[in-house]
Amino acid sequence: MRAFATRRKRFFGGISVLLVAASAVAALSVSVAQARSSAGELKGAGATFPAPLIAVWQQRYEAAKDVKITYNPIGSGGGITAITNKTVDFGASDAPLTPDQFNACNGCVQLPWVLSATSIMYNIPGAPNNLRITGAILADIYLGKIKNWNDPRIQRINRGFTMPDRAITPVYRSDSSGTTYNYTSYLNTASREWKSRVGKGTTVNWPAGVGARGSSGVSGVISRTEGALGYADVAYALKNKLKFFSVQNRAGNFARPGLVGIRAAAQADRKFSPTNELSIVNPPPGKRFRKAYPICTYSYVLLRIQSQQAALLKPFVTWALTSGQAFGPALVFQPVPKYVVERGKTTLRRVHP
Amino acid sequence: MSADSNTSQIFRTERIGRRKLVNHLVEAAATVSALLAVAVLVIVIGSVAKRGAGAISWDFLTKTPVIDTGFGEPQPSGIANAIIGTAIIVGIAVLLALPVGVLTAIYLNELAPKRVSAVLSLALDVLNGIPAIVIGIFVFVFLVVGHGQSGLKAGFALSILMLPMVARATQEVLALVPNSLREASLALGAAKWRTTLSVVLPQAVGGIVTGATLATARVAGETAPLLFTSSLVSDEINTNPNEALESIPMFIFKSAEQADPALHEQAWGAALVLIAFILITSLLARAFAARSRRRILGER
Amino acid sequence: MSVAQEQVSGPAAFKRRGRFRPGDAVLYVVTLLAAVTSVVLLTLITREVLADAWPAMDKFGLKFLTTQAWDQNKELFGARSFIFGTVVTSFGALILATPISIAIALFLTELAPRWIRSVVGPLVELLAAVPTVVLGLWGILILGPFIVSTLAPALHGALGFLPIFGPPPPVGSSMFAAILILTIMMVPIISSLCRELFLGVPSELKDGALALGATRWEMVRGVVFPYARAGIAAAMILGLGRAIGEAIAVTQVIGASVAINTSLFEPGDTLASRIAGQYQGADTALQVSSLVYLAVILLVFSLVTNIIAQIVVRRVAGRHRV
Repeated sequence: MRAFATRRKRFFGGISVLLVAASAVAALSVSVAQARSSAGELKGAGATFPAPLIAVWQQRYEAAKDVKITYNPIGSGGGITAITNKTVDFGASDAPLTPDQFNACNGCVQLPWVLSATSIMYNIPGAPNNLRITGAILADIYLGKIKNWNDPRIQRINRGFTMPDRAITPVYRSDSSGTTYNYTSYLNTASREWKSRVGKGTTVNWPAGVGARGSSGVSGVISRTEGALGYADVAYALKNKLKFFSVQNRAGNFARPGLVGIRAAAQADRKFSPTNELSIVNPPPGKRFRKAYPICTYSYVLLRIQSQQAALLKPFVTWALTSGQAFGPALVFQPVPKYVVERGKTTLRRVHP
Repeated sequence: MSADSNTSQIFRTERIGRRKLVNHLVEAAATVSALLAVAVLVIVIGSVAKRGAGAISWDFLTKTPVIDTGFGEPQPSGIANAIIGTAIIVGIAVLLALPVGVLTAIYLNELAPKRVSAVLSLALDVLNGIPAIVIGIFVFVFLVVGHGQSGLKAGFALSILMLPMVARATQEVLALVPNSLREASLALGAAKWRTTLSVVLPQAVGGIVTGATLATARVAGETAPLLFTSSLVSDEINTNPNEALESIPMFIFKSAEQADPALHEQAWGAALVLIAFILITSLLARAFAARSRRRILGER
Repeated sequence: MSVAQEQVSGPAAFKRRGRFRPGDAVLYVVTLLAAVTSVVLLTLITREVLADAWPAMDKFGLKFLTTQAWDQNKELFGARSFIFGTVVTSFGALILATPISIAIALFLTELAPRWIRSVVGPLVELLAAVPTVVLGLWGILILGPFIVSTLAPALHGALGFLPIFGPPPPVGSSMFAAILILTIMMVPIISSLCRELFLGVPSELKDGALALGATRWEMVRGVVFPYARAGIAAAMILGLGRAIGEAIAVTQVIGASVAINTSLFEPGDTLASRIAGQYQGADTALQVSSLVYLAVILLVFSLVTNIIAQIVVRRVAGRHRV
């Protein structure tokens, strides 16, 4: 009988310990659950293209205004989904929202807040930086028609360097990407076959190449793979010390993805669409665009018109459009033109709690 | 029996040399295979240990992630938010799955008519066989779309994975409890519920704790359900289960794909923390299981 | 299974003495509710998944299974590449894992002295405890480069006449990497099940064969294998089911391609891995619905393998209870 009692004690003892432990965890979480996201925090998600600059903004803004910004670089598609599902306070996408996506988002606005270029990076051992390439050649590489670096079409425009006999491994974004949207928009203008066979979008049916997730994934694959070629925001090329091409623009010049080239390209479109869209891909020939880099893009911030975090969002986006742009040039983000800042401020006025 | 059909061949001793050779070859192959498996295990765990050990530090375990932007001083970066997030999410999963699993097993073992028990057992087995990614998508479309992610929903998803494990482990332990105990208690006039709670269950507690611990260790490493329910997270330590919380498996998953070698090192460190946790809990659980099984079977 | 049931079960449990015990009723109801939870969950999962897949199922029908495409712009989605990928990676891993697992089980039950057994046995089970995300991490950072630098060139050099070993790839992400990772996952499962099976073979049968002059291999081939045949099949099927459903480790190493290639060194994708890889960026309703359609197909695959395994297991258990 005594054994019975001790066993019962042990049983209840054991169960009590488990329950106490579990309750402690529950109590701790419940006590904090009273407060919603702490007053000074903003959560964002989206494109990897502007992520390097946003990372700097996170540090600088928190130091200046004591508001914590967190940003999940999951790709433009992820950003659009996140703001649609209301899982974040702001989204970011290089690809502007389509009418369908605006409908699905139900009360969202976009405005451009970052301006930069998509670099075409390559890993050819022994090659100099800024080899030359054209849109037509790039399209054929990603169509699988040009397979080796020593193809005469590539060699012809790079007479200063003997191209090696090495297979080309094109790398593309496997996730839903605004950079893909930018790059494929460019390929659409450069190759009729690309436009009819593949088209443009945040994801497309790539006829050739290997996929990697995120701009950093693409850079990672390229840096590890000899003969690889891929596209990502120029900040990633610099960060990973990858070489990138000079791409031929419509004026016939080979332009680099630098601040000069971006500034020239930005002039290609100064007229906003009703949804604040600006398209500066492959600017037309003409004196103004002599130095334009043909694969530039704005990146957009996505906001809900009605947002609980409006009081924090508006100052942050305003700061990003103005003071925040000063941190861009070091990472090859061209400060946005004044008319973009004005348009952004006007749009922001629509955002309310 | 098929052994008979072979005996006529076995009797032919003039082929003994060749048969011995074949035997040796097969034994060698078996040994090599076992060594291969051990080698792979050593390589995998060894890589994690070697590369992760360099990342482990007090800062790593107590600080939150800091992105290296190239501006200013490099700051120590850690996975404290992931560790706490995992603890909360797994805690919620245990809170949900343990009671339901134990009660389910009690019903199936002690109270249910045999046919009902068979059907419900089958349902549990089917639930066990559903891949974690499908559970993740289920919770995503059922709870997350339009409402947002949260640690609670992540814990709920993990509890669905845990439930069959806990139930099955409890069932096995309950079956081990000798029937004489139940009969004796009932014969003494105790009600069925009294018998179950005060006589049967205490005997089984050891096994239940073991099963629950093993299930927790298994589920702590699951990534797929977290992908859908708790992936858009902040870098701060967050203890609010109504929001998405960072977790160690998600941290490893995200960091593995990046190009930055510093993040890779952190991923190895996080993997080491995860494996250490799983290893220690599994070993403790098994030691406890051996002890309690000995106790149940020893006392009769 | 439970001996207790023969004594008191069901509603009879609390009507035994004729006196109504409210405590018994409470316990019965509470535990019944708990037990029913699993059925409720199963129903919910099936219903939700089917409901969300319905738009895609309605639009594409069964042609979805034979379409090889995943195009957001053209709004065309199909599962063919991923069904192919799932079948190839899972069965490829099964082909590699089964002989290794059986050999390990034989080693542990027949060959190894006790001290080796107590060391190697837990080590193999430890491999089962490694989370798949860690295996995937190891696959990306260590196995992938190893395949590119050593394994693929060696295989292509030696066996390149086989179309499955095409030219060595420039990147480590490939179906081959996925097969290797899945093999590492499957081996502990199959080998621990086989080990229990082999231990369950009656020793009189084994001793009898040995006494008749059989070598150990002949005894295994003539006694253990036939006895455990159905159980081995069940173990293989269970391992296969696990591999079919694996999303995380596979998506980390497989390369996310929609193409169907003969060479294993090319990237590919499986049902589970595509869901894991694509869901975050799925912004059109049709794309999300197509992903859930993939989940439905995956569910069917894993349910079928699970049920087959259950049938085999129960038939084995029934036969051996005699």
